[in-house]
Amino acid sequence: MNRRSLSVFAPWLGMVVFLGIWELTVRLGDLKPFQLRAPSVVIRRLSEEPGFWWRNSVVTGREAMIGFALAFLSALVIGAPLAASRFAERATQPILVLIQVTPFVAYAPSVVIWFGFGWRPIIFLTALACFPLFAFAVIGGIRSTDPAALELFRSVDASPAETWRRLRLPSALPSLFPAARASIGLALIVAFLAEQFALTPDGLGVIGKKGAAFNDGDLVWGTVFCMAILGTVALASVGLAERWVLRWHASQRGVVGYRPRS
Amino acid sequence: MSKVFGSLPVLEPTTLAVHQGEVLTLLGPSGCGKTTLLRMVAGLEAPSAGTVLVGGRSPAEARSAKEIGFVPQAPGLLPWRDVEANARLLTELNRGRGRRAARDVVELLRSVGLGDFLAAYPHELSGGMQQRVALVRAFALGAPLLLMDEPFAALDEMTRADMRHLLATLCEETGAAVLFVTHSLAEAVFLSDRVAVMSPRPGTVTGVVEIDLPRPRDPELEDDPAFFTLERALRHQLHGPGARR
Repeated sequence: MNRRSLSVFAPWLGMVVFLGIWELTVRLGDLKPFQLRAPSVVIRRLSEEPGFWWRNSVVTGREAMIGFALAFLSALVIGAPLAASRFAERATQPILVLIQVTPFVAYAPSVVIWFGFGWRPIIFLTALACFPLFAFAVIGGIRSTDPAALELFRSVDASPAETWRRLRLPSALPSLFPAARASIGLALIVAFLAEQFALTPDGLGVIGKKGAAFNDGDLVWGTVFCMAILGTVALASVGLAERWVLRWHASQRGVVGYRPRS
Repeated sequence: MSKVFGSLPVLEPTTLAVHQGEVLTLLGPSGCGKTTLLRMVAGLEAPSAGTVLVGGRSPAEARSAKEIGFVPQAPGLLPWRDVEANARLLTELNRGRGRRAARDVVELLRSVGLGDFLAAYPHELSGGMQQRVALVRAFALGAPLLLMDEPFAALDEMTRADMRHLLATLCEETGAAVLFVTHSLAEAVFLSDRVAVMSPRPGTVTGVVEIDLPRPRDPELEDDPAFFTLERALRHQLHGPGARR
């Protein structure tokens, strides 16, 4: 096996070793079921009721995705004028920072009162938590537009809409993806916890809370596994999207140097 | 026209005309206001006093009629567009007002030696190749006025020589008026029909030198004694008593 295929193999090896040590710790360490479940036990529980876990994972995943998408879109709409005006940006900065640093669990009960029980407060809280990261990224990204390209657009009297669509927005994309990578995990965490305030019937957050309340280690660790898989899939999706959207960007350069097709 | 930034006069009253089919070079030390002058012609900056006319119209009107082909100092290529799409950019913007006489982009790219690189992205190109795309982008517009702001300033000496030879050919093929800004004597002599020499800040044109070398310009011209004579004339005009007022 050469070095390249070894390095492809490495992450899987790491996971197997990690799960193996975990399994051995539980078996040899005589731990109580609620303290820690062996991975083999958790996987068996998951495979016994796949429909149940799938349904709840979809609920939480969907909430996180909708909140994430709303945050992204509203940051684009609100970030554009903020990028155009230093004053507006400075005026809104403290608000964005406050949203970012205040733990949403503190005001989540009030949000549930505003929106009522159900999915609405969950989506709102998820979007709100992801919003500042995206807003900062949009502002920074738009500001990073190449001044030479901007002058070029002016030299043929391009309309503001043209400049926005063909220059500013694509210029902002490279800084949006790091924000997306950070936000996707955040969105899942917020959706998971917000479910516990919003008293929805389904979702991994609800299952996890139930498991904790009834000291049911199977439920708790099943939830942990499902959240981990959700997060991995979501993060990988962002990564794939980035590779495709930014295939022209420096960060995605695979091979340096262009070889003309003959 | 003249230009004042705050209380700093950058450009003393200056009068200059560029004729159709002519290459006029603004030559001067850095900070003499030659770029400012170019930007005022492009309508990217307003003169503090006086007027700029482009084909009898204001620069703003010329800009919206897409009659100005601009080549900035940095190539300003869009990294998400390949070479061909970058070269097409200016023709695609402000389409409603576009000129019909736009030139064939692919043919132009071939003529500057980028025929094999139509689908390459800017990061895959050398600095000289990037600047060639920027030239084609301006020429593709088919504009009657081309404005070039030290387009080769960031390139190494050997590439600069190639680029000025290439640009001379491109200029000779179009009937456009070209206003070229540089601080390179060789570029000024090789490319121009006339060179307007500027004094240090606050700048003004201290003299206009006619370059009566034959066209088409041949790279071997640079070994010609006449070439050196003209370079010396420009150098004297730059540093001579005329520059100190």
